[in-house]
Amino acid sequence: MNEETRHNPELNAIREFLTQCIPFDQLSDRELDAILPSLEVTYFRRGHVFKPDDDGGLRIVRSGAAELRTESGQLVDRFGEAVSFNLRGLAQEQPDIRATLIEDSLIYLVPEARYQELRKEHREFDRFFHSQRSRRVRRAARREDASSEMTRGIRDIMSQRLITVSPNQSIQFTAQRMTEHRVSSVLVMEGEALRGIVTDRDLRSRAVAEAIDMSRPIADIMTAAPETLCSDATLFDATLFMTQKGYHHIPVADRNPDAAGESDCCTGKVLGILTSSDLMLARRNDPVHMVQHLGRKRSAAEIKGILSAIPDLLIQWAEAGTRVHQVSHMLTAISDAVTIRLIRLAEEELGPPPAPYCWLGFGSQGREEQLLGGDQDNALVIADSVREQDLEWYRQLSKRVCDGLDECGYIYCPGGIMATTDEWRQPLRNWRETVDRWSRSPTADALMRVSIFFDIRPVYGDEQLGLQLQQHMLQRTRGNSIFLAALAENVLDSPPPLGIFRRFVVEHDGEHRDQLNLKKRAVIPIVDIVRIHALANGLPQVNTFARLKALAESRSMSISDSRNLQDALQVIMQTRLEAQAQQLVAGQRTSNYLNPDELSKLVRKQLRDAFGVVKDAQQTVRLRYRPGL
Amino acid sequence: MPRGFSLEVRRAYWELLRKSRNRPQEQRAELLHDIWRKSPLKSRTPWREQEFLVVDAETSGLQVKDSELLSLGWVVIRDGRVPLQSARHILIRPEKGVGESATVHQLRDCELEEGMTEAEALLELLQAACGRVLVFHHAPLDMAFLNRACWRSFRLPLLMPVVDTMAIEKRTLEHKHVPLVRNTLRLSTCCSRYGLPPGTVHNALSDALATAQLLLAQVAHKGGDVRLGDLL
Repeated sequence: MNEETRHNPELNAIREFLTQCIPFDQLSDRELDAILPSLEVTYFRRGHVFKPDDDGGLRIVRSGAAELRTESGQLVDRFGEAVSFNLRGLAQEQPDIRATLIEDSLIYLVPEARYQELRKEHREFDRFFHSQRSRRVRRAARREDASSEMTRGIRDIMSQRLITVSPNQSIQFTAQRMTEHRVSSVLVMEGEALRGIVTDRDLRSRAVAEAIDMSRPIADIMTAAPETLCSDATLFDATLFMTQKGYHHIPVADRNPDAAGESDCCTGKVLGILTSSDLMLARRNDPVHMVQHLGRKRSAAEIKGILSAIPDLLIQWAEAGTRVHQVSHMLTAISDAVTIRLIRLAEEELGPPPAPYCWLGFGSQGREEQLLGGDQDNALVIADSVREQDLEWYRQLSKRVCDGLDECGYIYCPGGIMATTDEWRQPLRNWRETVDRWSRSPTADALMRVSIFFDIRPVYGDEQLGLQLQQHMLQRTRGNSIFLAALAENVLDSPPPLGIFRRFVVEHDGEHRDQLNLKKRAVIPIVDIVRIHALANGLPQVNTFARLKALAESRSMSISDSRNLQDALQVIMQTRLEAQAQQLVAGQRTSNYLNPDELSKLVRKQLRDAFGVVKDAQQTVRLRYRPGL
Repeated sequence: MPRGFSLEVRRAYWELLRKSRNRPQEQRAELLHDIWRKSPLKSRTPWREQEFLVVDAETSGLQVKDSELLSLGWVVIRDGRVPLQSARHILIRPEKGVGESATVHQLRDCELEEGMTEAEALLELLQAACGRVLVFHHAPLDMAFLNRACWRSFRLPLLMPVVDTMAIEKRTLEHKHVPLVRNTLRLSTCCSRYGLPPGTVHNALSDALATAQLLLAQVAHKGGDVRLGDLL
């Protein structure tokens, strides 16, 4: 048979395709030519299932799409053209892994023996599959889908802080104790034994409404011998039980080791109490509940506890393919809620404000474009009626809030753009002077420091103060060619990330060597470009997408330029979101850096296109605003 | 075109082959005899157990009488897969120039000068075809050229079972009442109907590979136990 290995330039198309598949792109043409003859072309219908004990080998999707799932149906990964998978490798950590085709697929197969040879011969090649495996499996391990959420045990949901009274203590004493501990129910205990439970509602309906003597023992109005939940019950059991019986509070007890039989055996030691709000809070994956519960927390430490669910949320959103502007909208809503809660806590402590004020958010919080790991950018504008001696109150407030934000993970602004800086905490008239100074004789350097000021949004307090300041700022900047030219200089200072090394400019030193800083190199240039157009035209919007839409509507920018920039920002932000989700899955700290080599061919192409758009937009800025100098 | 042969045809061909073996100047017809003998075609054979040789020929024109074979490309389908190791591309030295058709298949005279003769090319093809079923997209055209080459070499026609992916596609589309318009049955159109990557340039090997992928897809879409008889 004439099947000796032969060099066939006619198979160039396949070689060409392989060079677009990671990690085959690491191999030289000569090495690829050596692989080609060992490839086998196969075709399968949608629904075909590959299992690890099939004949092995590396499968490369030439056209079509597939997903990896565990046997129980948990989704591990979903992918299409140019992605490869080796089930035997994946099965080493996830034995019941399956690949199911979700489209009719043409698949190139590298037989197992040849695949293992390749891994031996090429370190890069081997490393890719090694890391791919652990990444995918870690993600699978970490994911909690909705059904497993409901099977969580109630032990880690219930409150273990037991507030108790004894049966002979007075009704009034009980009410005082509940108020003191800010709880809506107490357990009535005699030593270790549970005698009853008393809730806010019991106090209202059985004591106050009946005009009972408040010095009578609590035993008179308690619900005696209350039902209990077993400590090994699940969230599902508890939710069902409480909604069916209409209970809002229920004690949780250990199984009684002495009790025989299954029924009525949870009469052991009382371990805690479960409330309906605990059940709500247990639904950690709901940002609405998260924001609601932030409002009940008493300290930055408690708030931080709630925020710990954010990484899981982000992974979920990224995997569900949620659009990034929705994600950043939700993350901004959460950081607003945190800010507002911290302000209210500080106000409780410091007393009411001596004069109206407004807490302002800047930068990504102002623009509602937050992802993870952003620093805090904020300021205070105070009503002009404030007296000199009252300014200390605002300093104290700012300190508490900014410290709290830092503790919650919104780190201090390295540039000092925070309400704790005197220059960023002023009465409105002083603010106006500051704005006048910036816009009258601007230097590029000074403007760069304060550029995020122009993305201003009232977060809390007297919104009018914030809006007046913004209006004043827009009056000063609109059509102000000197100011715009100085701003434009900064825009042009950040080069577009199209470069020579694999056509991406990556960082050359430090911890993130060979990585691409998407925020610095791609997001900020777009934000800067759009900001300058918005200010030149006096637009009040701060969100970059909103600004772009408004620019197109007011005909200050062509519809196609506006759309292109929106698409570019969308692509870049989405890539950044997915990179952050992957970092979280891999257990790394989130950053704005990513390794261009790890991007899929499609994303690379999209990013390159997006950077091209940024470059063009920079040209426009150069032409339109620079001549003012 | 051949979709299985009647007993009479088989007997007649066998007789021809037998006689030609006795003519000393045509010893090479031994090969045709071999092929015929090793093709125990049973239409009940599950298609996976049958090996196929998927072939595409580039020619200098569409009319057999004034055109020539310029190149052959083929791949094997074995166990329902295409091992790329089986890929073969052969250039054929034409007796006349390439002419206008160079714009279609991008073969130039200077490259073809290095090629083998038509007889040598046919010999290699027949060796590869031994024990396998030939597959073409639009078989009548390619077979006409191969038949003539066979006639020139052996004074015998090339009588072999042939699978035509275009005919399969036509039957499928007619069954679905899809109107056949211009280009409906072109190789690239058929490939894209199954989500297969479009072939690049016109080239015998890449078209043969595309045809092989098309056959895999067609068989997969038939579903169930596909047997050789369903394809012929």
